[in-house]
Amino acid sequence: MTCNLKPTILALFLFPCDSTPQPGVVEIIDAVRKVPHWNNRGLSTPKGGVGIVMRCVGRWFVSRFFNKVTMTWVGLLSLWLCVISHPALGALRIDITKGGLQPMPIALSDLVDLSPSGSVLGQNAWGHKLNEVITADLERSGLFKPLDPKSFIQSPAELWQQGPNFRDWRLIGAEAVVSGAVHEKDGKLIADFFLHDVFQGSLVGKGKRFTAPLRDWRHVAHRIADEIYTRLTGESGYFTSRIAFVASNGDMKWMALMDQDGANRVDLTHDRSLVLTPRFAPTGEQLFYLSYETGQPRIYRWELYTGKRTIQGDYPGLNSAPAWSPDGQRMALTLSKDGNPEVYLRDLRSGDLRRLTENNAIDTSPSFSPDGSQIVFNSDRAGSPQIYVMDANGGNARRLTFEGSYNAAPAWSPRGDLIAYVSGGGGHFRIAVIDPSGQNGRTLTDSWMDESPTWSPNGRVILFSRQTGSQTKLYTIDLTGHNERLVKLEDNINGSDPSWSPLIK
Amino acid sequence: MKRLATLVVSVLFLGVLAGCGATPKEGPDGAAGAASGAMGADGTALGRSGGYGSNLDDPNGPGRMGRGEMGRVIHFDFNSAMLTAEAEQILAYNARNLAKTSGRIQIEGHCDERGTREYNLALGQQRAEAAARFLVSQGIPANRIKTVSYGKERPVVKGHDEMSWSQNRRAEINSQ
Repeated sequence: MTCNLKPTILALFLFPCDSTPQPGVVEIIDAVRKVPHWNNRGLSTPKGGVGIVMRCVGRWFVSRFFNKVTMTWVGLLSLWLCVISHPALGALRIDITKGGLQPMPIALSDLVDLSPSGSVLGQNAWGHKLNEVITADLERSGLFKPLDPKSFIQSPAELWQQGPNFRDWRLIGAEAVVSGAVHEKDGKLIADFFLHDVFQGSLVGKGKRFTAPLRDWRHVAHRIADEIYTRLTGESGYFTSRIAFVASNGDMKWMALMDQDGANRVDLTHDRSLVLTPRFAPTGEQLFYLSYETGQPRIYRWELYTGKRTIQGDYPGLNSAPAWSPDGQRMALTLSKDGNPEVYLRDLRSGDLRRLTENNAIDTSPSFSPDGSQIVFNSDRAGSPQIYVMDANGGNARRLTFEGSYNAAPAWSPRGDLIAYVSGGGGHFRIAVIDPSGQNGRTLTDSWMDESPTWSPNGRVILFSRQTGSQTKLYTIDLTGHNERLVKLEDNINGSDPSWSPLIK
Repeated sequence: MKRLATLVVSVLFLGVLAGCGATPKEGPDGAAGAASGAMGADGTALGRSGGYGSNLDDPNGPGRMGRGEMGRVIHFDFNSAMLTAEAEQILAYNARNLAKTSGRIQIEGHCDERGTREYNLALGQQRAEAAARFLVSQGIPANRIKTVSYGKERPVVKGHDEMSWSQNRRAEINSQ
């Protein structure tokens, strides 16, 4: 193991010190991922907690340094300590409000596998796996164009040990370059990464360290991808999130969870009852869903990490369309107990019920505005299903959609600026968006039967299901109407009724 | 065994329905009636009945009754829960038979595969309740009747055309 001074000097040159001392080189993120485990009795509680731990990294660094660990990369980190006083956010930025933009060319080098003592191992087993997930996330967003690693002039090890040779990266057209390293310690994966602005020749944000159990390696990769997305777009990412959906294979239907990229599927229901419309709670730790296990459609609440399930009322006739209020205290739902499907509000603590709509038509599919003050829903009170908005206490209903003979299943964006819905006409059902004011309605997809729109946690992407013949698959599309992508499901099963979770930290 | 018997009765019933395609009364509406006739003529009616049979095997499904001459299934127009004249005739026939019994009656509402899941659940409920109200108007006590909507989740015919859809937009009257 050699102590490499050259990178130290290079780094000094690249990242001049600021006189103001800064406490942290790297934000340390304890990225333990809560995983719902399915067993015969239900979902069990996983070990460990979730949380972001941002420690004083100085202590970490000092202990490392005086443990006489090799300085190859620790030395580099120590120098970057000076750099964070130049949080170089600004120059490099993607404006994601425009549709059909040119994706940013980005060089995603494999993270370097290190030995426990910090020396560079020859092969990047973990580093390559992590990079594959990071690359897939960023590429799928449509905002980034990951460059072919074969074109890279600097090797991952050189990039990590010596810092980026920006001229090399400019030469291949990269606008941003990511360097990182990963090692195992006590059964945990420890990954460090840095994001560089190639034209400015500077860091973008701080270095960051993620620590997680080995089995959560994909979670670490999604966290890094989210960091890159956030630093380069100015908006929070969405890669560290899950999808609840109804899976099917032949005549078998069951409820399942998976990561937003389709990996890590966990099958939730084991009986043969019909299950429909899972809905993530604002915390991401509970689901509402519909089950026919008693022979009638009833709404249940499932606490994912305890496995506890509770029926949410047992009203005669139809119980359906559960929607969480943003504060997680109330549920909007559809009941037919008074003779006709109407929207009600149920207090989750007391079980008190309040009727919100009153007419002879169908009122269903409620969805709260992010501030909880309004509810969008669909109603055929004017003769055909159309989208309406009302106050969360039931008053002031006003119609939003006037085009098309079938507008239904509205979903209010978590940003509040748009409502996604299913727009039917001419025998086709497509995903559309409209302003909450009823202006600027536009259709995003074109297929025979698209439905169940649900928003990414950052409100930039819509996930929906598409039926083609007997197949139903999940797709995503940007709110700009660009970048439609199939979500690959493990075992090539069918998927419908998706619900996109909030960000999972 | 009971289930098998029910299946056989259903198959026979569908055979009768298909065979009588020329009689306007039998079909759920004009187009579907004609379609049934065509199906019967080329012998594919049994295939469709097979699809029906597999639905009967559904463990979630309540017990069915097979009621010989006139069915226990009524059909609807697209996106409608209005009872057609044929539907009222079939319901009246069922009401006469049900009046002789005292068991519970479950009415299932169903939709075709077009449109959203939640709207179809609501529409299926409206179809079931329209049928329930009609039975009550014919003297069946309301407390014998339970309604359940399956929306578009339980099609009888799995095709993706109007012929299949017209069969799937239905309410089924089941008694125990």
